[in-house]
Amino acid sequence: MFSNIDNEAFIKAFQETIFMSFVSTLFVFIFGLLLGITLFATGKQSINQNKIIYQISSIITNILRSIPFLILIVLLVPFTKLIVGTILGAKAALPALIIGATPYYARLVELTLNEKGKYLIETGQAFGASNYKIITKIIIPESLIGIIRGITVTAIMIVGYTSIAGAIGAGGLGNLAYLYGFTRNQIDVTILATLLIIGIILFIQLISDILIKKIQKT
Amino acid sequence: MITLTDISKTFKTKQGTFNALKNISLSIEENTIHGIIGPSGAGKSTLIRVINQLEKQDTGTVGVFEYTDVKKLNKESTRMYRKRVSMIFQNFNLLEQKTVFQNIGLPIILHQRLKETDITLIRELITLVGLNGYENSYPNELSGGQKQRVGIARALVSKPEILLCDEPTSALDTQTIKTVLELIKTIKEKLNLTVVIVTHDMNVIKEICEEVTVMNEGEIVESDNIDNIIFNPQSPVTSGLLGTIGLDIKQFISKKVTKENMFVLLFDKSIINQSLISRVVQIHSVNINILYANITPNNKGIMLIEINGNQSKIQSTIKELINRGVEVKHV
Ligand SMILES: Nc1ncnc2c1ncn2[C@@H]1O[C@H](COP(=O)(O)OP(=O)(O)O)[C@@H](O)[C@H]1O
Ligand SMILES: [Mg+2]
Repeated sequence: MFSNIDNEAFIKAFQETIFMSFVSTLFVFIFGLLLGITLFATGKQSINQNKIIYQISSIITNILRSIPFLILIVLLVPFTKLIVGTILGAKAALPALIIGATPYYARLVELTLNEKGKYLIETGQAFGASNYKIITKIIIPESLIGIIRGITVTAIMIVGYTSIAGAIGAGGLGNLAYLYGFTRNQIDVTILATLLIIGIILFIQLISDILIKKIQKT
Repeated sequence: MITLTDISKTFKTKQGTFNALKNISLSIEENTIHGIIGPSGAGKSTLIRVINQLEKQDTGTVGVFEYTDVKKLNKESTRMYRKRVSMIFQNFNLLEQKTVFQNIGLPIILHQRLKETDITLIRELITLVGLNGYENSYPNELSGGQKQRVGIARALVSKPEILLCDEPTSALDTQTIKTVLELIKTIKEKLNLTVVIVTHDMNVIKEICEEVTVMNEGEIVESDNIDNIIFNPQSPVTSGLLGTIGLDIKQFISKKVTKENMFVLLFDKSIINQSLISRVVQIHSVNINILYANITPNNKGIMLIEINGNQSKIQSTIKELINRGVEVKHV
């Protein structure tokens, strides 16, 4: 068991996976939150109801969400080349990871904001708050747990996406597992890569649970 | 103080358009507790939300304070206006992630940082609503009644002149309803507020309202002071609502075949203690059956009686009652 393990290769792959997951989660958090707030704010009976903006954001979100990730990577090759300069390596995986996961997270944000949205808007407006204050001082703080849960689920999904990206040249643990396990039949490499990926996911979940426990008022 | 003129509001729904308010005109006096009652769907919430412009009317004007039509105010002025017209809600609308103290301070926090004077004011309000010791509790650690007390304190922090209450007690149990209504009455007196209460519960009206507007299907059925509403209801909707708290005199009348000698009496508290009926009976040697008696929210006596005797005796009995300060109405 584990006779084929090359420590250096593993450390490098692990770092690449962490890098891809972390950086894209960070961007997805920012873009997804903004898109989610836009969807929420322009939605029906919201603070800034705007059918056109809502429909455009909504359609883009739905289309991007329905493209399988592997195909999205391929579709984005020209774009990736333009932005990153190459289509190989961990950096090159970022555009696809970010574009693939942002709409997903945006929908989760929209959902969670809508949960108590109606009465929170009513409350803010009744006390003379501007739309900006309603979002920043009332709705986001009240929806913080949902926002964190959402980014947790999304981050876990992104870790999964990195291994798909890895398989077609982005490096990382997915690449390692595929390269050695699948093409060279070194199953122990695949198992170790899998265990490490599970470890990363459990770690994300742990951080999220700790955060939520800290802010939940019960 | 609040003058609604010809207010109409239509909602577009999938089934078509729905007239929630149909040409409503209503005046609400300064420094009164004004109840708006009616069955669910009558348009009460829409009406109260038009007052603070959470809902904008299609036609008509809402005159409040020095403004002839608050709909014409720009965004900034609307915000200033809403500081003077506070609101409490059926489901309290508290922020779950904020403490009692932070919730009460919210209307200030939304505009600026809390100053030393604000903190003092919030502390005073916590005392006023009886929540000392709960400053750092979170809403889900509180009972329904306590949550509404937080809602009330929060509504008062901007020092409003008008307090709008949309079904403030509908999520509470009977015992708690009384204490919350008592609190509203107390703060109204202390702070010289004008209070508008929307409710579907006649008990709420009976408990604290001085003026009453009855609504049904987007229209005002009648609007009067509480005594006249009880003594002399004009519409079957009102009678129906009175019936829910056993104050519908017509219920008793319709059971009787002859109504000829039946009268409704309304009299002051001072007369209640005078054993009025037995005296009148002695003087005029008539027979009086008391079919119904109750006390109205303003502590007036209300009575349904049947007088037996010849016509001239009945007439003199009634004269006597009127002379003694009783309001008499032939059924
Ligand atoms: N935003 C809205 N969109 C569509 N219909 C509404 C809206 N608000 C209220 N209505 C309708 O208007 C009517 C009156 O509502 P409301 O004022 O809430 O009544 P009440 O408070 O007396 O129960 C109801 O039939 C309700 O369905
Ligand atoms: Mg209502």
